[in-house]
Amino acid sequence: MPSPSFVRTLVRSPQAGLTGVLLVLWGLLALAAGSHQDPLGGGTVNNFLNAHTLIQMATDASGFAIMGVGATIVIISGGIDLSVGAIYALAGVAMAMVLRAAGPLPPVAAFGLGLAVCLGVAVTCGLLNGLMVVGLRVHPFIITLGTMWILRGIAFVMSRAESILVPTSLTAVAKASLGLGRSLSPVPLLAMCAVTAIGAVFLTRTVAGRYVFAIGGNVEASRFSGLPVARSTIGVYVISGLCAGIAAFLGAAFYGSATSSDANGYELYVIASAVVGGASLVGGKGSALSAMIGALLIVTIRQAIRTLHFDQNYEWIIIGGALIAAVVIDQGGTRLLTRLREAR
Amino acid sequence: MSAPAVRFAGITRRFPGVAALTDVGFDVAAGSCHAICGENGAGKSTLGRILAGIDRPDAGTITLFGEAVRFRQPRDAMAAGVAIVHQELALWPELSVAENLGMGRMPRRGPLVDRRALRAHAEALLARVGAAIDPDRRMGALSIAEQQLVQIAMAVGADARIIIFDEPTSSLGERETERLYAVMAALRAQGTTTLYVSHRMPEIFRLCDTVTVLRDGHHVATTPTAALDEAAIVEQMIGRRLEQFYPSHAAGTAGAPVLEVEGLSAAGGRVRDISFTLRAGEVLGLAGLVGAGRSEVARALFGLDPTARGRVRVRGLEATIRSPREAMALGLGLVPEDRKGQGLVLGMANRENGSLPSLPRFASRGVVDRARESAATGAAFAAMTMAADAEAATVTLSGGNQQKVVMAKWLTAESDLLILDEPTRGVDVGAKAELHAWIDRHAAAGGAVLLITSDMPELLNLATRILVLREGRPAGELARADATQASLLRLMSGLGAA
Repeated sequence: MPSPSFVRTLVRSPQAGLTGVLLVLWGLLALAAGSHQDPLGGGTVNNFLNAHTLIQMATDASGFAIMGVGATIVIISGGIDLSVGAIYALAGVAMAMVLRAAGPLPPVAAFGLGLAVCLGVAVTCGLLNGLMVVGLRVHPFIITLGTMWILRGIAFVMSRAESILVPTSLTAVAKASLGLGRSLSPVPLLAMCAVTAIGAVFLTRTVAGRYVFAIGGNVEASRFSGLPVARSTIGVYVISGLCAGIAAFLGAAFYGSATSSDANGYELYVIASAVVGGASLVGGKGSALSAMIGALLIVTIRQAIRTLHFDQNYEWIIIGGALIAAVVIDQGGTRLLTRLREAR
Repeated sequence: MSAPAVRFAGITRRFPGVAALTDVGFDVAAGSCHAICGENGAGKSTLGRILAGIDRPDAGTITLFGEAVRFRQPRDAMAAGVAIVHQELALWPELSVAENLGMGRMPRRGPLVDRRALRAHAEALLARVGAAIDPDRRMGALSIAEQQLVQIAMAVGADARIIIFDEPTSSLGERETERLYAVMAALRAQGTTTLYVSHRMPEIFRLCDTVTVLRDGHHVATTPTAALDEAAIVEQMIGRRLEQFYPSHAAGTAGAPVLEVEGLSAAGGRVRDISFTLRAGEVLGLAGLVGAGRSEVARALFGLDPTARGRVRVRGLEATIRSPREAMALGLGLVPEDRKGQGLVLGMANRENGSLPSLPRFASRGVVDRARESAATGAAFAAMTMAADAEAATVTLSGGNQQKVVMAKWLTAESDLLILDEPTRGVDVGAKAELHAWIDRHAAAGGAVLLITSDMPELLNLATRILVLREGRPAGELARADATQASLLRLMSGLGAA
């Protein structure tokens, strides 16, 4: 039985509004989705509220959420990273090519080498972004817009636009059922939760995380307080790259292949996740947990279109409208809360 | 008698944590020049902003020429004939003067802007305020004085009946100030009512026929200028607190040299040949007019100026300070001039601001120990008599409490060599006294302070010695016993030694 103070903390937490919206949406979907007969067990199964659909949604959301945590950290620092989709593609392609060149390997070796290449490439790309943002003194929007095309171009040229298969030992890990039903694979879901938790601890508990907030809140005051502004700024792009690398590894392993057109346009879904989660594009504000919830919200809306049998051609229109609506509602709620607090 | 140009009644405006104005009411006679004065934070600018529709009162009414008005935005005020001239505001800095003046009423020829008519319109308006400014110049390229003239031309063009001047001369030279006075006199001759927000006595006596004094957001008095003298206005502005303003000093004995500076040059050579010694237990004042290079010295010492050259010794040891980090490692702390821009991350909690320079002290392996952080910043806030909640966002605090948070940053970092740049600017009287008392205690406890301030009484009362700068060069040094307001002014302005 949760104590009243725990409930109060939950309701007052900054994620309360967003989580509420998500839960209401899920409830409505479960009610509206209808149900079907389970062909095996025979019982009635809700078309939305079933293990398959939910884990499928979590899998879809995991890529956005993992990169969204990185994007949130960048956005809190006052920057932006448009190159995450391209980093994803390049890291995935590089990993697949190295593994192909290495030939047959024992499963553990293939896994280790793949992970090292994927994360190594992604971190290098992030480092490059960070060094250019700090060294060239050009707005990160421009730098990462440039590297977005450059990195995807490198992936394209390198792979000759081929789709490259990755060893099945990777897929076995990414799709492991971990004791759940045979066709259920919770690994992406768990990875998403782990990255979010680490991101949340980084932002709220560490010195480096506090510096990210300070720099995004007021870079001049941070300089006057002796903070390592350049190092922190480079660091956030490295983190963003790392997150893209983790997402790329999971994606390539899960789907069994990598191509240079992977994650095309993901940067906008990722930024949308962070912003729906309440990260301020001006900097100084945001949360890792909210970014994950933001990603879940976007994926839920996509899922709703399928579950409710809307015409899929309307997907973009609906997502665009929902994005604006979510942020407006969130801002309205924040303003209302502030007013209530001041009134007290 | 005709209706007053402006009647304020019961105007109240609260900001989070402070009441900027409380129940302010008075009349401004039509065609008069009416001064609104008071100390920093007295609420005079807020009142001007409310009349101009930039800010909205929480309560109270404004009546213009007998007609009640309610402004929701600056546009409404303009439509009612109220214009404001700010001290620094380049409306659209990337557009030309003519475009700035024509904004909102662009003359057209078919679908296009009639550039010739636009230029002619601008020339006519500029001529009416006697400004010789080329309408084709970029607004952002004008001096502040010229920008003000363009703003006045804009007000004239909008047929403003009431013009508010918000501390218009604070960044003007003497000749520019004279020009502004001439324009104001001309406006008055045309029957325009002017509200003059300022705290400069000579100007008030020269220009205004009525003076309203505000103190801590309250209306003190509205009096014809003829019935007042300078001392009377000062008394109204400061009130009863004038006597107990400054603490008596614990006559601390100066200890060993803490900071020795020899031949310091900074700001790319605009500041040169600065040498001084600061000893433990001393408050060394750094005086000078605006632009004399005082803040540049502070930035150079704190490692914020890559062009800084010269020898610096800290506690007898040769030091090269290339970054604030290195300065902090030597025990230096800087309370910068621009509190909100450079001193604080306003959106953060007070605790987070307080620990910003010293956060690694409260962390093990990169993870912050919240309890230790809270304890240390809490102790610093208590020592500074900072009254607000440690977890409140710093943006909600009054200027005085915000400044105490900045000071607490260095207290938490255990810096004993403090550079304080205008530490009491925009701070209310009570907080000012508390800050002064703290500076005194810090020195008495063996700390060292380099005090930069434009507040003469503050300088004369707190500093053990005073180094005067003029145009980036040392102009002289005075011991406390020899320093008077007159002798300092002479050194600062270059009129020869006392």
